[in-house]
Amino acid sequence: MLEIRNVWKTFHPGTPNEVRALQGVDLTLEDGSFTIIIGTNGSGKSTTLNAVAGSFFVDEGQLRIGGTDVTRWPEHRRASLIGRVFQNPFSGTAPSLSIAENFSLAARRGLSRGLGPALGSRMKAEMRDAVRQLNMGLEARLDNAIGTLSGGQRQALTLLMAAWRKPQLLLLDEHTAALDPKSADQVIALSETLIARDRLTTLMVTHSMQQAASLGDRLIMMHRGKVIHDLRGAEKARVRPADLLERFEELRRSELLDESAAEMLERLYV
Amino acid sequence: MNLLLGAAAIGFILSLLALGVYVSFRIFEFSDITAEGSITTGAAIAAVLLTHGWAPLTATFAGALGGMCAGTVTGLLATRCGINRLLSGILTMTALYSINLRIMGKSNIPLTNDHTMVSQAEAWGKAAFGKSTLAIWGWEVAVRDASLLIMVPALILVVCLALYFFLHTNLGTAMRATGDNAQMIRALGVDDGVMVVFGLALSNGLIALGGALLAQYQGFADVQMGIGMVVWGLASVIIGEALVGTRKLGYAITGTVMGSVLFRLLVAVALRWGLNPNDLKLITAAFVLAALIVPNALKSLKQKPRSLTHA
Ligand SMILES: Nc1ncnc2c1ncn2[C@@H]1O[C@H](COP(=O)(O)OP(=O)(O)OP(=O)(O)O)[C@@H](O)[C@H]1O
Ligand SMILES: [Mg+2]
Repeated sequence: MLEIRNVWKTFHPGTPNEVRALQGVDLTLEDGSFTIIIGTNGSGKSTTLNAVAGSFFVDEGQLRIGGTDVTRWPEHRRASLIGRVFQNPFSGTAPSLSIAENFSLAARRGLSRGLGPALGSRMKAEMRDAVRQLNMGLEARLDNAIGTLSGGQRQALTLLMAAWRKPQLLLLDEHTAALDPKSADQVIALSETLIARDRLTTLMVTHSMQQAASLGDRLIMMHRGKVIHDLRGAEKARVRPADLLERFEELRRSELLDESAAEMLERLYV
Repeated sequence: MNLLLGAAAIGFILSLLALGVYVSFRIFEFSDITAEGSITTGAAIAAVLLTHGWAPLTATFAGALGGMCAGTVTGLLATRCGINRLLSGILTMTALYSINLRIMGKSNIPLTNDHTMVSQAEAWGKAAFGKSTLAIWGWEVAVRDASLLIMVPALILVVCLALYFFLHTNLGTAMRATGDNAQMIRALGVDDGVMVVFGLALSNGLIALGGALLAQYQGFADVQMGIGMVVWGLASVIIGEALVGTRKLGYAITGTVMGSVLFRLLVAVALRWGLNPNDLKLITAAFVLAALIVPNALKSLKQKPRSLTHA
């Protein structure tokens, strides 16, 4: 479904701020797979998702979604294939528009937008049913500005909106990181339901080892702009939070080793 | 009384300016000063066409079309050429000064003897009332003023309704979301750059429509008439927001029209009380400045009650 082929991305090349964020990422997601990405801060998880979504063009490599080469497609064009939820609950909704209007925007993701009324009564009935399933009491507030809702409520709505038109690919970037534990659990439960219901091919970034162990059918670990571990099937099913922490610890030790080795070489030769 | 009636009529006409400013500054959060040129463009095109004997309605809408082109140019400069938004507006505005002079061929076109929407309204009024002055509650009112005060608000009402319904279409909703959260609307498959271009075309179309009507009302088009117009429009928007709030689009549109009329009435009264007309722009600018900083100042006072008690 998604093919990431040898993708490279350097921010601010040739300046003191140069960051080699992606250094040859290779990843192929099968149709209907639910893949979790973990990794240390700055390892390139968000950059990978942004590269797929088209927030910027990659320096090198290829991106295919459902067999179509989208490497040079602008972000708004790729959106016809991709549903997205951001880490920041403010990013996914238009605050001064009502819940219903936000939904009407998501209902035309990837379609042309003309002079038809944005809110038909049929659409409103459909979205009321969907929103009711959140059990947040929001179905009575469809005409309220979304900016008046809590972060958890907004994130749940963003998720519903992203999945509304059954995207070929769902991108979730730490979408519960900014929420309190209870809201985070609610949003995770909703994610699981939606992903399972429509068998959505999903790529989800998280820092929660709990989520990484319990969710999804495949687990990827990134480090320094590369995929360094790839667990699937039975191996993924067996994995526990403690094992994952172990891997991070391993990584930290080898980094320290790298540094002390470099220091030693420096002492010897400089 | 006639003074106030005239002020109200101008207020209604310039509510088109205020609506345009509302679209660019509030909906798109785009500080667009193309308006200072496009309002004149609307006036210039309408005036030239009217002196060539075009039908008033056609000439007026041609003026609005000119404004839409100007807005499109600013939008393209900002989104496709990546030029700073304020600078994009300044560039278009500056270019428009020469273009407006080209259109007009001279710096001022009088419209006193031409058939305009205003003379049309006056003719209808005379036919309806059968005389040239009316007595309303003991006041002598010129039929011209009375008929304009019926025709202009009716026209504004039509424009407001059209704007309201347009902003609730799929396209209009996407445009509003663009100003609110461009990242979100891109993720939902909309080219936000195109939305900005459409928005500025809409905004400057409204403003040029206002300019075309203003020229017909005051009986001339002048190449200088746009100076200070953005701030006047902003003042109207701000008064409207204070009057009815910003919660719902319908309120915001109504408030903007009310703000424009109230602003004109206040200006008329102030001038009557001896305010020097030359000081008008300074006072308007000071008013907008105050409206921009006072809410923030109040907020910071509320957030730091400690520093107040220590002061
Ligand atoms: N738009 C950008 N401009 C410049 N540098 C960027 C940009 N986006 C990411 N980076 C840099 O690229 C590197 C990888 O960032 P990325 O956001 O992908 O990390 P991450 O794995 O998502 O980390 P985190 O867990 O902290 O979210 C970081 O050093 C970051 O500073
Ligand atoms: Mg990240």
